[in-house]
Amino acid sequence: MAEITTEEITVTDFAVREHRSLWVDAWRRLASSNTARLGMFIVAFFILSTTFSHFFWEYEPKKDLNYSLKLKPPTLIPNEEVPSVHPFGTDKLGRDIFRRVVHGGWNSLRVGIVAVSISLFFGGLTGLFTGFYENIDTTHIERLVLFGLTGLVLGSLSAWVAAQPIQAIFFAILGVIAAYFKNFQKGKALRMVVFTIAGALIGAILGAFVSGAAALISLIWGAITGALLSRPLDGKFFSNVMMRLMDIILSFPGYLLAIAIVAFLGPGLEKGMIAIGVVGIPVYARLTRSAVLSVSQKEYILAAQSVGEGHGRIIFRHITPNILSPIIVQTTMGLAGAILSAAALGFLGLGAIPPEPEWGAMLGDSYRYLTSGAWWAVLFPGLAIMFSVLGFNLLGDGLRDALDPKLRT
Amino acid sequence: MTPLLEIKNLKTRFFTSEGVVKAVNNVSYSMESGEILGVVGESGCGKSVHALSIMQLVQDPPGKITNGEVWLDGQDLLTLSEKEMKKVRGFDVAMIFQDPMTSLNPVFTVGFQIVEALRLHNDMTKKEARERAGELLALVGIPGAEERLDDYPHQFSGGMRQRAMIAMGLSCEPKLLIADEPTTALDVTIQAQIVDLVKRLQAELGMAIMWITHDLGVIAEMADRINVMYAGAIIESGNVRNIYKKTRHPYTMGLLGSLPRLDEDPGAELLSVPGLPPDLLALPKGCAFAARCGYRTEKCLEEKPPLEEIDGREHAVACWHWEEIAGSK
Repeated sequence: MAEITTEEITVTDFAVREHRSLWVDAWRRLASSNTARLGMFIVAFFILSTTFSHFFWEYEPKKDLNYSLKLKPPTLIPNEEVPSVHPFGTDKLGRDIFRRVVHGGWNSLRVGIVAVSISLFFGGLTGLFTGFYENIDTTHIERLVLFGLTGLVLGSLSAWVAAQPIQAIFFAILGVIAAYFKNFQKGKALRMVVFTIAGALIGAILGAFVSGAAALISLIWGAITGALLSRPLDGKFFSNVMMRLMDIILSFPGYLLAIAIVAFLGPGLEKGMIAIGVVGIPVYARLTRSAVLSVSQKEYILAAQSVGEGHGRIIFRHITPNILSPIIVQTTMGLAGAILSAAALGFLGLGAIPPEPEWGAMLGDSYRYLTSGAWWAVLFPGLAIMFSVLGFNLLGDGLRDALDPKLRT
Repeated sequence: MTPLLEIKNLKTRFFTSEGVVKAVNNVSYSMESGEILGVVGESGCGKSVHALSIMQLVQDPPGKITNGEVWLDGQDLLTLSEKEMKKVRGFDVAMIFQDPMTSLNPVFTVGFQIVEALRLHNDMTKKEARERAGELLALVGIPGAEERLDDYPHQFSGGMRQRAMIAMGLSCEPKLLIADEPTTALDVTIQAQIVDLVKRLQAELGMAIMWITHDLGVIAEMADRINVMYAGAIIESGNVRNIYKKTRHPYTMGLLGSLPRLDEDPGAELLSVPGLPPDLLALPKGCAFAARCGYRTEKCLEEKPPLEEIDGREHAVACWHWEEIAGSK
């Protein structure tokens, strides 16, 4: 047995003890995981290569045509048949696949970021508000805002059906009026009748400008909206309406709903972003809401209230930072999902409008030539999709481990 | 002189799917400024809910204050709007909670949280607030206070977190500090330190303290007066001497009997109060304690005893038979 002398024992100096935040800890755990490092590497490579390609060359898809170079295999050294370098080969119109993959990556990245931002923003806010106001007494102003919002959301559906956007605003006003008469204790039945008729009238009159059918549908929907708005007005009601709406969106198969939205809006990269974003809203709403519900029960939220902090401050200063970790993980995974969805829409011809390059659209254009031996036209965009999705998923997995609340002390 | 805090007929109810939970039933009492009031009772007897009712922080829905007045410094808190109430919380009344492990927000530094509480009610720059936060941490006895401001809650021990919570509670020098079981989650040596700290701070700053606990030992050491609560109502109230030496309510006697004593034969068995507290969903018609009481008569089951002043001042009890009990002792 070795002898231990006092010299061998090192004493940690308390004066230089560092103030480690939870985020710093999480970052260290992330950086020490091999899979997360691989994910980060792929994601960084993907982002940097697609972003910085713009500094090296301008890609103009409309001018990039050369029928004499139709479907040439990958060429690294120019020869008589193929006078220029095409590392990934060329497609059916003689376009360089390498450039199109890189430039298509830029489109995929944009779709991913914009679509996830849409889902995160609307879903996150829905989750925050519904979760927080579920179990809290609302002030007068909060009630006006929440019921204006409920009216706006319910009205938007009617407005969409009747093709009369102005309806949404009328229903929002109806919601605010309903909230304003909160202390209207007597005559609940009367109140319900008044609001139902008001809603039906707004719907019918505005719908009539479009067509008889629109008037009828928005009459019915308006009556339902009016009746709902005459109910007891508290946070729980607001959260119920919003979450049932989320359930409705969630009950459609994701791709089907995205295709339906694109069919409604018309094809195009931007429309695809909106469609994929809308489909993702309920996922973030539910995730955020569940996290908010559990954090709201923590004593530090009560403590924050007991020093006199207001609801807005509590939501954004105290609750939001505490629910970030599941949301960060979901966002990373969501980027992978959005890229995949964008490729699916592109493959079906509903995403980017040709000749704009997009990975899914490139696959859709080229898979027919697979039988004639042009494997390169399909392989490289396919690999690009696979690796970018893999990268974001690995990173998401790593983040989940790194941010695991069970590791927190 | 008007009392600092005067509560009249406070009633708090929880409207649940199983029925109405009668959490606080007709609680009335007053507190002078600079006084330490102990509130004792077993779990679920309405101690915490009545304190949260004063702050109007009862979770709503399902909770609601259905009746009563809470006068603080000549102002009925229950008539204030949420906006006005926000100014009262933390500034006039502050509250510290049971579990120091969860009452600090884990994602912010301790200093940030104290600074935030300070700046909420005072017109201070960040630098001034930070200085003051350092002073406060030093005041509650955290060594190297200045430096520990940048620590995160997980770098603090349980006792230190409770000290930090107290510093936050004291940040605006409130007139009333409500401490909701502040020592329950701590071990005994730390408990003693926190009790000493609060006593010292009370002497220095002179605010009134409401100390909610189920530990009669802790309260005997520091309180001026004690309210004993049972099933949402005060059943005995008085100064410490009267409560401990001239106990009149059978429930209080049961509570005191269940404490181990140093001057007792080590082999002696501890007494316990038989039975369970009544279901707050369906309170009995008569005295709420009757089912567990050895002095029970027909009258106890039929009529609710009022809280009456006895033995002159400073002692009140809600029991039909306090005179017999006094005689039998």
